[in-house]
Amino acid sequence: MRLLSLSILLISFAGIYSQDGIFRDSIASLLQTKCLRCHSGSTPKGELDLSSERSLREGGSSGKVIAMDGKKSLLLEMIEQRKMPPKDKLTDAEIEAFRKWIQSGSKWNGPALEPKSTDATPKRAGKDWWSLQPIRRSALPATRNSGWIRQPIDTFILNKLESNGLGTAPEADRRTYLRRVKFDLLGLPPTPEEITQFQADTAPDAYEKLIDRLLASPHYGERWGRHWLDVVRFAESHGYETNELRRSAWPYRDWVIRAFNEDKPFARFVQEQLAGDVVAAGDIQNEVATGFLVAGTHDVVGNATPEGMAQQRQDDLYDMVSATGSTFLGLTVNCARCHDHKFDPITQREYYGLQAVFAGTQHNTRRIDDPVLSKKLKSLEQETKPLASQLSKLEGKTSLIGKARAQMNTESFPAIEARYVRMTIVETERHDEPCIDEMEIYEGDTNVALSSKGAKASASSAFPDASIHRIVHLNDGQVGNSHSWISNEQGKGWAQIELPQNCKIDRIVWGRDRLRQFADRLPSKYRFEASLDGKTWTLLCTDQDRLHRQVPAALANEVEAQKELQKKLQALTTEAEALRSQLQVYCGSFKSPEKVYLLKRGDPMQKLEEVAPLAIASVGVPWNLSVSASDKERRLALANWIASPANPLPARVMVNRLWHYHFGTGLVNTPSDFGFNGGKPSHPELLDWLAAEYQHNGGRMKPLHKMIVLSATYRQASTTTEKVRTDAEKVDADNRLLWRFPRRRLEAEILRDSILAISGNLDLRMGGPGYDLWKYSNYVVVFEPREPTPADTFRRMVYQFKPRTQQDKTFGAFDCPDGTLTMPRRNTSTTALQALNLLNSEFMLDQSGRLAERLEKEAGSDPSRAIEHGFMLALGRKPKGQELETSLAVVRQHGLPVFCRALLNTNELIFID
Amino acid sequence: MQLSLAGHSLMDRRRFLGNMGGGLAGVALLDLLKQQSQADQKQPIRPSIDSQHPLASRQPHFAPKAKRVLHIFCSGACSQLDTWDYKPELIKRHGQPMPTNSKLVTFQGENGALNQSPYAFKQRGQSGKFTSDLLPQLGELVDEMCFIHSLTSKTNTHGPGETYANTGFTLEGFPSAGAWVTYALGSQNQNLPAFVAIPDPRGVPQVGPANWSNGFLPAVFQGTAFNAISSIPHLQPPRSVSKSDDEAARDLLKRLNEEHLKERPGDTALSARIASYELAARLQLSAPEVAELGQESVITQKAYGIDSPNKFLAGFARNCLLARRLLERGVRYVQLFNGAYAMGEGVGNWDGHKQLKKDYDRHGPILDQPAAALLKDLKARGMLDDTLVIWATEFGRMPTFQKGAQGRDHNPDGFTAWLAGAGVKKAFSYGATDEFGYKAVEKVTTIYDFYATILHLLGLDHERLSYYHNGIERRLTDVHGHVIHDILS
Repeated sequence: MRLLSLSILLISFAGIYSQDGIFRDSIASLLQTKCLRCHSGSTPKGELDLSSERSLREGGSSGKVIAMDGKKSLLLEMIEQRKMPPKDKLTDAEIEAFRKWIQSGSKWNGPALEPKSTDATPKRAGKDWWSLQPIRRSALPATRNSGWIRQPIDTFILNKLESNGLGTAPEADRRTYLRRVKFDLLGLPPTPEEITQFQADTAPDAYEKLIDRLLASPHYGERWGRHWLDVVRFAESHGYETNELRRSAWPYRDWVIRAFNEDKPFARFVQEQLAGDVVAAGDIQNEVATGFLVAGTHDVVGNATPEGMAQQRQDDLYDMVSATGSTFLGLTVNCARCHDHKFDPITQREYYGLQAVFAGTQHNTRRIDDPVLSKKLKSLEQETKPLASQLSKLEGKTSLIGKARAQMNTESFPAIEARYVRMTIVETERHDEPCIDEMEIYEGDTNVALSSKGAKASASSAFPDASIHRIVHLNDGQVGNSHSWISNEQGKGWAQIELPQNCKIDRIVWGRDRLRQFADRLPSKYRFEASLDGKTWTLLCTDQDRLHRQVPAALANEVEAQKELQKKLQALTTEAEALRSQLQVYCGSFKSPEKVYLLKRGDPMQKLEEVAPLAIASVGVPWNLSVSASDKERRLALANWIASPANPLPARVMVNRLWHYHFGTGLVNTPSDFGFNGGKPSHPELLDWLAAEYQHNGGRMKPLHKMIVLSATYRQASTTTEKVRTDAEKVDADNRLLWRFPRRRLEAEILRDSILAISGNLDLRMGGPGYDLWKYSNYVVVFEPREPTPADTFRRMVYQFKPRTQQDKTFGAFDCPDGTLTMPRRNTSTTALQALNLLNSEFMLDQSGRLAERLEKEAGSDPSRAIEHGFMLALGRKPKGQELETSLAVVRQHGLPVFCRALLNTNELIFID
Repeated sequence: MQLSLAGHSLMDRRRFLGNMGGGLAGVALLDLLKQQSQADQKQPIRPSIDSQHPLASRQPHFAPKAKRVLHIFCSGACSQLDTWDYKPELIKRHGQPMPTNSKLVTFQGENGALNQSPYAFKQRGQSGKFTSDLLPQLGELVDEMCFIHSLTSKTNTHGPGETYANTGFTLEGFPSAGAWVTYALGSQNQNLPAFVAIPDPRGVPQVGPANWSNGFLPAVFQGTAFNAISSIPHLQPPRSVSKSDDEAARDLLKRLNEEHLKERPGDTALSARIASYELAARLQLSAPEVAELGQESVITQKAYGIDSPNKFLAGFARNCLLARRLLERGVRYVQLFNGAYAMGEGVGNWDGHKQLKKDYDRHGPILDQPAAALLKDLKARGMLDDTLVIWATEFGRMPTFQKGAQGRDHNPDGFTAWLAGAGVKKAFSYGATDEFGYKAVEKVTTIYDFYATILHLLGLDHERLSYYHNGIERRLTDVHGHVIHDILS
């Protein structure tokens, strides 16, 4: 009976479908469109995965859905009762097709199926999403007021303004324009001379000459490079709990600045950042661009659990995928870590395919082979050696006197017979636990305290759980913080050496860190005692003796010589450090790729199948590699895919970033998200026109900059008439259509740079290791500001050493990114703390004083002249009558610094028209 | 043509503070074009923020139980087994190996035997809840507390653990709970910061400012860090600036700014900045006033422990008293940190890996008296009626001692936090860990649930309090979280 009915079925369908046909012709596509959105992936509903034959047969949480005999099928029941699919119902014919397929044995004639997550619905973007379409350069639109137009881009802006019934603002005057464009392109205020010169330049190409000059300035790269560093989450520490410093990450920052200055073509720009070690092998200047890959956070806390370790690695890779996706593609690829992207056509498999690209990339410093630099370093080290030994000899002599020093101190006393020597510390400089790196006790010229000679060290306590700070380090013959003892008592502790036999001693040499890295934990009050039996003690000396010892005349010269030597040595050390950080650069290290798996719910402990490198199918020209592809091949393939003109996203994203920084808001106002949740372009044709132009220029920025800043749109004033404004605000309060130029607040960095420039103290040295605002304690990284702010920190803020989460105490509050997440668009918030910082910080008061000195020096003693000069320097204009009068009254009664303090806080300085 | 703009941009409704240049009276072009495609999703409710007064008090989504929050955070992972989670079975099986299928490896490595707490547990309060002798004074207040014994974390590492506990994400860079709450609700006091983070007298916690970060929210919602010893940075000019010079500079600044504004009418960003200098001036008066603990009676000061010879206890007591004074003045969110990282593992915080008793003997008293006094004080003043108190830590510790050591390793799988005050049940315990206190087994609770509940108490729907950042509507509770209705009073 059973056999019979089955054969009847088979016969009756033979005319319509072959056995293979029914699956291929209709079931596969029905499954894809109607079922797989829920019943596939890493977390299928009801644990029922209908994407492959195997998973279909396995069934779900309600058990098998298809019986072997093809008779009873839960799946068919649900379909026939129209319970499934719940929303997008099947037609009768479709139900019939399922019935036939299941009853005929549900043969799966084909590969596993992917859900069609690339289909658009009202709730999500599909492959047809606007930003994924090819770039189309449209003809320039028609406008009525064509006399206004200076550049092609103006036609797009004007067209849209006109169609919304809006006008344009009058042209900004030359002074305003110069100020705007110099801040915009270089991040620096115009000098009074520049202003006069530009205002007087009657040549027809005055504007063009100005822009050419600005774009050729090396400070352009500092300004626009800083924008890029925001986008790529660059910072100079690991973040998280240890927040360890990355002293050699700056070469990437310098590469960025150079890349902008050289206007590196986009393809090269991408290739070097993703695979500089491949495309620029041997060229260290460009190899370091791979710093991009490891610019993000990195959790280094040792974790003994496999889940913990796997999670840390997953987080590192997540950071790389996420940064690459948002930076170059403007896509939130990272959202597909645990499941298919909810809004954009990106599958979870594609997320892991991209992760596979970075599977060989490790957070680490990389040795850069550069014979020239290595040789230079070697010769520096050779130069340093004799100086250092000379210095330590001198220090041996002079370390007898004055306050105890961190490096080394010598205590001398009349010779005495001793078996035990004890140092009792009663106070440290900072009331922290005292540290001693080595205690040397001399009989004649022999150090008799060494453990290697049988001496034994003991102490009141030892710092817990710190292998580098143990009691045995007191006399192990090794100096420096890593071989030191720290007590476990704040501000006190004692350390004792039992000598191997009775010795006639007359000198003790001790230090906190002879390698000069640390100066905390320094004993300030202490005494040394000696004993023969360990019970009765004789006082040898105390810290007071040092203060009262006279400088012997013979030593006076040596004290001077020591100072000189120290200075020289410091300079050499700094230079050597800088060289070392170029030879050991934090720009990632690469090894052969680890295996990458699709992870169920993104959980590193729930591996599904292995995934090979692959691109996002809905973007550009798809590619994929085999699992055996090398690390280099993988990254290069990704770079080339991004750089390919067939990929429409990168060019759109790049020109939009450009627009965003010029006008404060991008044509797409979510610069790193061109997906479903991002903004839609306010001027789509303009965006494409610019993207086409960019590609046509070989992916160079500068021609676009020039076109934009010379446009009539950009040259508008930021203030317009009351009527135009109120009319426009009814339609477009956010000024997205650009009916005037948007006034903008200076960013934190530019504000600091400008104040230094105005006061005449900006140090324009470029490149190299950054200046450091912090001093560090040794146990864990704790940041304390160096105060007062030393003049060696007066370089541009792009060169500020930038540990994560640690902000500049004065300027950080101005929405400065702290380097933890990418920041494609900064907030501009206004807070009372910003006001307090600009009014009262030591930095600002110092600068007010310095500006006052400058005004006096350059404008002479006439206060009116000084005020005028101050206005010119800070605001680029002369004071108006009333302003001059009010300022004069203040200067007369309170002095120039008070005027300067007010001037440096003004809205006019901080907001650019 | 016009409609090619269509579809919106969500961004345009999500107007940042600084982007309000056009003024609130104006209309965003793209605002007019609502996006209907998300109609059946929960729409975000965006607080309407006045750029002149970004911290002005705002209405919650629905009637709240709590108006303000006191959040006590114990840094370093305070052990549930030595404080609040009483496990008779652990005492009974002290010294025996934990019954597991495989070798028990946790954060720092292998574990030794089960270990009972060095602190005895006693029944306390009317309710007779067992708590340990480590925190006897807080223990006496169990009748006020609502314990959640089944909290879980996603990580066993302090850094990510602390950001997870305070921002809902293990990655750095996300806004803290205090920032979210002040973003939503502003503050009832316009002369003080809306969100104050009070670091321990011993230093800052493990990931420092990431604990009170505004993340991608506007900076005005960042926690302002100060405590009873060190005030707000740059609050006053240095002494070298005389009062009259200070006033002259600020007066001149005001005139120049007003002159400048006159020529640029309608720019609220400019007037907001003028207003920020006025707020700064008010802050200069109110911040020192709130820190003047001498205004409190000697009895109050003593109750907190300000006179203690233990300088850390006295310091934390001052911070607790400062917290009460801030809350009293309408500050929306006060977070008190107990424990500091700078001193090293376990020395200055609750990270008792190697010598738990030695560490906790130091830390217990520092927390106990001041925090208990604070709770009692809030109750006596009737403030518990509309103040929500949170006591929390980043994760728990193991019921075993580490192999060869006298302390407990990290344990993210089950730990305790408690709530007290506005809107929560009193003398109530929710959820449970297993017989040893190792894993949450009953009513397992996530940080998302925890914060969903806290936001609910403040009148906020955790699914609708969101902020667009980098392609995603971000929430304190990510895409998870359920309000724990069982603990609501």
